[in-house]
Amino acid sequence: MTQGWLGMTKTTLKLNLGPQHPSTHGVLRLILELEGEKILSCEPDIGYLHRGMEKMAEKLSYIQYLPVVDRIDYLAGCFYSELFCRTIENALNIELSERDKNIRVLLLELNRISSHLLWIGAFLMDLGAVSPFFYSMREREMVLRFFEKLTGQRMMYNYFVFGGVRNDIGYIDDIKEIIKILPNKIKDYERIITDNPIFLARTKNKGILEKSVAANYSITGVNLRASGISYDLRQNDYLYKGYEFNPVVLQGKDAWARYKARILELKESLNLIRQALDKISKTKTQAKTFISPLGIKLPEGEYYNEIEAPRGLASIYIKSLGDNVPYRLKWRTGSYYSVNLLKKLLLGEFLNDAIAIAGSLDIILPEVDK
Amino acid sequence: MNISELQNVLKESKIENDKLIISKNLHDTILSIKDNYNFDILKSITGIDCGNNIELIYHLYSVPNQEDLLISTYVTDSAETVSDIFESAKADENEIYDMFGVQFDGNADLKRLYMPEGWNGHPLRKDYTGNDTRLAWNDENNA
Amino acid sequence: MNYLYFLYTEILAKYNIPKLFGEITFYIIPFCVLAVALLIIVLILVLAERKLLGWFTQRKGPNRVGWWGILQTLADALKLLLKENITPSKADRFLFNLAPILVFVPAMTLLGIIPYSAEFTFVNTSSNIILYLLLAAFPIVSIFLGGWASNNKYSLIGAVRSIAQVLSYELPISFVVIGIVTLASSMNLTEITLSQYTKYGILGWYIFPCILGFIIMFLCILAELNRCPFDLPEAESELICGYNTEYSGMRFAIFYLTEYALLFGNALFLSVLFLGGYLSPFGAYLSHIFFGETAFANILVYFEQVFWLIFKASLIIFVVIWIRATLPRLASFDMLKFSWAVLLPLSIINLLFMVIFKYITGGAV
Repeated sequence: MTQGWLGMTKTTLKLNLGPQHPSTHGVLRLILELEGEKILSCEPDIGYLHRGMEKMAEKLSYIQYLPVVDRIDYLAGCFYSELFCRTIENALNIELSERDKNIRVLLLELNRISSHLLWIGAFLMDLGAVSPFFYSMREREMVLRFFEKLTGQRMMYNYFVFGGVRNDIGYIDDIKEIIKILPNKIKDYERIITDNPIFLARTKNKGILEKSVAANYSITGVNLRASGISYDLRQNDYLYKGYEFNPVVLQGKDAWARYKARILELKESLNLIRQALDKISKTKTQAKTFISPLGIKLPEGEYYNEIEAPRGLASIYIKSLGDNVPYRLKWRTGSYYSVNLLKKLLLGEFLNDAIAIAGSLDIILPEVDK
Repeated sequence: MNISELQNVLKESKIENDKLIISKNLHDTILSIKDNYNFDILKSITGIDCGNNIELIYHLYSVPNQEDLLISTYVTDSAETVSDIFESAKADENEIYDMFGVQFDGNADLKRLYMPEGWNGHPLRKDYTGNDTRLAWNDENNA
Repeated sequence: MNYLYFLYTEILAKYNIPKLFGEITFYIIPFCVLAVALLIIVLILVLAERKLLGWFTQRKGPNRVGWWGILQTLADALKLLLKENITPSKADRFLFNLAPILVFVPAMTLLGIIPYSAEFTFVNTSSNIILYLLLAAFPIVSIFLGGWASNNKYSLIGAVRSIAQVLSYELPISFVVIGIVTLASSMNLTEITLSQYTKYGILGWYIFPCILGFIIMFLCILAELNRCPFDLPEAESELICGYNTEYSGMRFAIFYLTEYALLFGNALFLSVLFLGGYLSPFGAYLSHIFFGETAFANILVYFEQVFWLIFKASLIIFVVIWIRATLPRLASFDMLKFSWAVLLPLSIINLLFMVIFKYITGGAV
């Protein structure tokens, strides 16, 4: 409270943005201090979606925990499934068949596409444009329909199992159609969004994330690459061995670059899907030799794995004492650090720029709260 | 800079399970590792309740050299903060405080994160009984 | 109007009703008609907007209630009527209740000053264009009242934003309107309409000399109506619903209806100023072309004129909805900058150009 004009007192406005708010994408609560519309301080409050994923793991056997991991990020469940399965496979020295590896790559990239498509729609919704949301949801629907046919689920697939995938791949025609249609649709999005002067004014030079800051705040994934740091785990991932792949790196550092990077990632993912389809068609369906999931006991030791999820680096750490449950299981998710970044990135911005900046980071709350 | 070379440089450290284990001067060690060997991202801090003490694993990554480094230390109830070196450590340390009850000296922002304010106990500790549900709310803290 | 008045007093005289009664009620009846017509128009507009937005986004739009979803808005309105009117406990009760009532009045009056056809204007004052400038800016008072009285931070920010918006966009409108007044040498809307009449129809409209003014005014009206891309005061993704966050039930319905009534009124006004009002775009009226100069055609012309006016307004409304389906929202700072740094200078240049145009084309300035 400071003394202002004509002896009036000047106070700041404390605004609770969320936990129920259209553009916090879930149950994020931001406690903002505003002077006019300018943000003086931002304090994220999380935990409204906390499900105790890590504590749960200590009570459930590995096969019991497998369906749960999809729920960590319900928009990109495959990635956490893959991460969990991979850790168990590494620990037990299970070798995946070539076909299963390629199926996994295919599904991961499809999942990434559906996640990015949703983000594009939601981001434009944050900026006040209604139509792109429906356009991107329309294409996402094709992907989800395919997932539903293949796995029986639209979002939480539980499709990857220890040592492979649950069923062999099918419905190849659906994927081929997606590959055929999506590039044109991406062009359409670009036509309506990318060079729109209002969109440019809202996102260019807004929410600039410098390289050093991004690294310091442990930002990974697309947000980091849009700031000019080339760090894509897919380059070294064993699943992606033999795939031609160029990580998307932009120098823009602003919200627009983060948008553009995701659009380019969509195209890159389509590329990977094409290659994966190619590779799958060269292999034949094999009889499954599943390991019995019931008695899985990890040998004593510590296991660490990481993967490039749509919202940044996701990693898992398991410490096992040789039981059928882990002694400690830790998830590292990208969004958690993005929320932490909001404290810095929103300072001094106007309220409606803040919404755009927060939206551009692609925060999803189940990932934050675990 | 691989881990065994680092161990030669740093005295009083040993390697166990691919982790560099440091017993003291955590803050200064991490600061020197960051400055001298370009480890610019702290991917995560993992806490593990080992019974008598709590193990903290710092997962560092170097973008220019594309290297990972795991640094581990054992603490009891309080630890040195690295939040002045890595901003992201604030979030991690807060999570560890919430889940394990480790106090980080120098990190003023510690608060209950996932658990409600005034919750008794720290859930990821092995001695957490888990039966103090909503009844365990401390009404005085809550009011 | 005189003709109608004559007819009305004739009928009253037939039943021996005093003339004074006729003089008073004659001006009330149109407003009753208007109120009913307004509700119907708004219901149609809301449906049209939802249908169009549906088509723009490759959906079907409302299609369950009634044939082709025609009763959807009616059902929605009914739902709102039946809902509880919630007043926040810390709100200023009096102002909170007053705001929706206040907001409806200027919208109604605005529709009253439009010349729908020759001799058919409810309130035909000699300079009703001034009245328009006043009425168009008036809803902001109740918007601010509502936002402030709700005692909600989102409402307050929305209300303050809308004050800033209307203040900055009111000025260019005035300059453009002065330009039109210069062209028509009149402040009466009927005379402005008639001054656009030529036998070439569309060529006489003021949109041709004043295309810049039309664009400026169109943008300013978007801003005054809080329509996309100027929908900052009720930005859904930022302020939940802006100034009417706390309103529910009937009061919310009134705000909602008024928004569309104002949209319709402003679209009518734009067509009167720039698109020749009720004049036919072909010069001669279709009724005269098809039926000759008969008495039947002369009566039909009145309806044709109403049709042309509403048709032109619908075109404008279509563009407004089209813009909503296409553009994102402006940033708050850009919104102000756009008005003061772009529209205001342009509108002054436009006025200057109008004066020169009028001088060259031979009017006495």
